[in-house]
Amino acid sequence: MSASVSSRHPLLTSIGVALAGIAAVALLAVLPGGSTLAQQVVSGLMLGGIYVAVAVAFTLTIGVLNFLNFTIPTLFMLTGMVAWGLSRWGLPFGLSPGLHWAPALLGGVAVAILASLIVERFTFRYLKTRHGDATEHAIPLVSSLGFLLIFEHLVLIFLGSEAQSFPVRFRLDLHLGPLVVGLPQLASLLLSLGVVFWLSWLLQSTRTGRALRSIAESPDTATLLGVEVARIVPIVFLLSGLLCGVAGALFVVNYSDVSPFMGEHVGTKAIAGMVLGGLGSIWGAIAGGLLVGLLETLGIHFFGGDAAQVAVWGVLLAVLILRPQGLFGASRIGKGKL
Amino acid sequence: MLLDVADLEVRYGRTHAVRGVSLSVAPGEVVTVLGANGAGKSSLLKALAGAVRPAAGRIWLAGQDITALAAPDRVRQGLVLVPEGRQILVSLSVRENLLMGAYCRRDAEVGRDIDAIYDRFPNLAARRDMPASVLSGGEQQMLAISRALLARPKLMMLDEPSLGLSPLLVSRLFGLIGELNREGLAILLVEQNTRMALRAASRGYVMELGRVVLDGPAEKLANNDALAAAYLGGH
Repeated sequence: MSASVSSRHPLLTSIGVALAGIAAVALLAVLPGGSTLAQQVVSGLMLGGIYVAVAVAFTLTIGVLNFLNFTIPTLFMLTGMVAWGLSRWGLPFGLSPGLHWAPALLGGVAVAILASLIVERFTFRYLKTRHGDATEHAIPLVSSLGFLLIFEHLVLIFLGSEAQSFPVRFRLDLHLGPLVVGLPQLASLLLSLGVVFWLSWLLQSTRTGRALRSIAESPDTATLLGVEVARIVPIVFLLSGLLCGVAGALFVVNYSDVSPFMGEHVGTKAIAGMVLGGLGSIWGAIAGGLLVGLLETLGIHFFGGDAAQVAVWGVLLAVLILRPQGLFGASRIGKGKL
Repeated sequence: MLLDVADLEVRYGRTHAVRGVSLSVAPGEVVTVLGANGAGKSSLLKALAGAVRPAAGRIWLAGQDITALAAPDRVRQGLVLVPEGRQILVSLSVRENLLMGAYCRRDAEVGRDIDAIYDRFPNLAARRDMPASVLSGGEQQMLAISRALLARPKLMMLDEPSLGLSPLLVSRLFGLIGELNREGLAILLVEQNTRMALRAASRGYVMELGRVVLDGPAEKLANNDALAAAYLGGH
């Protein structure tokens, strides 16, 4: 992680924070008139779970490759639209009714991963960027912008430009006193955080993770130690495709609405969350993603839908002025993040 | 010969850094490459490690032509470079740096080899779970050499290992180089510290403007008047 040595393991810290959060929500819920607010906090965290997965996808490519991957929102959108398209085009694969959404969503995730690997081929592998000059960062950025437009327009051509509704509605509410917690939403928050924790473990404790962190710090040194950078880079894209796919599938489960433009909203919020938490730190992306989800739902609750945007971005700008390294980040210039 | 280099050329754009260098290292031998700044010594080592692609020439390791191999494959063949400036991965812990040294190995003895490193360097053992950024310059050099050793090399190339070290640490470093050599490791040593390098090596090459201008047994080079005038401060 960062150079600042923390004596506690981040997992223990986050479990502590989670328990404190649950206690705070419970306390809020039993206060007179606090239950609506508590409900908003719960909904905000559920929404934040989706932002977390996308924010970590951004963090991964920035941390390892110093590359802001503009196709990430599109991968998220692809999952939703492809899942909707598959379910429209005659899935259910002969499964009993009520189960056919699962292969459609898995198909959406698979397409996101595939698309991410295609982006890797054409932004990194086949492009001969020269290390150290302007092409190193500009060319992948521009080609990822190109892919954003290509994927978006392929979806427009084959699936139309209309907002669509996924045929299955996921509704199963858990009543905890005055609070209503959607079971699918709760499951998706846990799944999203689970994927991110697994990724963090992979980076910290496996041979591949060490190789990724070595490349993040110095591709030249990693090569001299025997790391085949060209073979490891696709893993970054595979993982970020997986994260976007999971986030997209969870979005479908939570909100049922898909559109070719659904990625833009979530993508910008995820970038805000990543920067808010601290650029290049996975724990920062988790905290920032959840915080943006909270800010958004609480903003809607207190000020209405339009003003919520002002709240989220206002807080982001304020944090950037007061603490440019983000709330939890110790991000350093250049390489050597994650 | 363990390493054979024939007519190696390295160019960076219009700079012609290495101009037709040929050299060899026998198994178990310490060979040094001397020369002033900009003589092409580092470029030579980088080309041997596969970090830069030579414009011409051939490289054989243990009889096998490795000219076309990429850097990671050369590590697998037993050719490792301890680069100039150590290049410790400061965002990884000391232990993770050592594990990265063994990145190409799949055998079960990595743990035992790391324990042997800890026995040899108690300072590294004491800081094994700290970020490598906390190490002093001398400790970082020990870590860089240990990391290279964990690849189980046939030939270790060292690029200016004494740079920035105190005289005491320099003599300790050369002690280590002698020790590793007595254990059978072949070493190709690029140094500015000509006197120490010639004492550790059995043979030496002197480079000037990308060419080898002088080579021979170390004691002959140490007594060479021209070399003494150029690099040994006129003694």
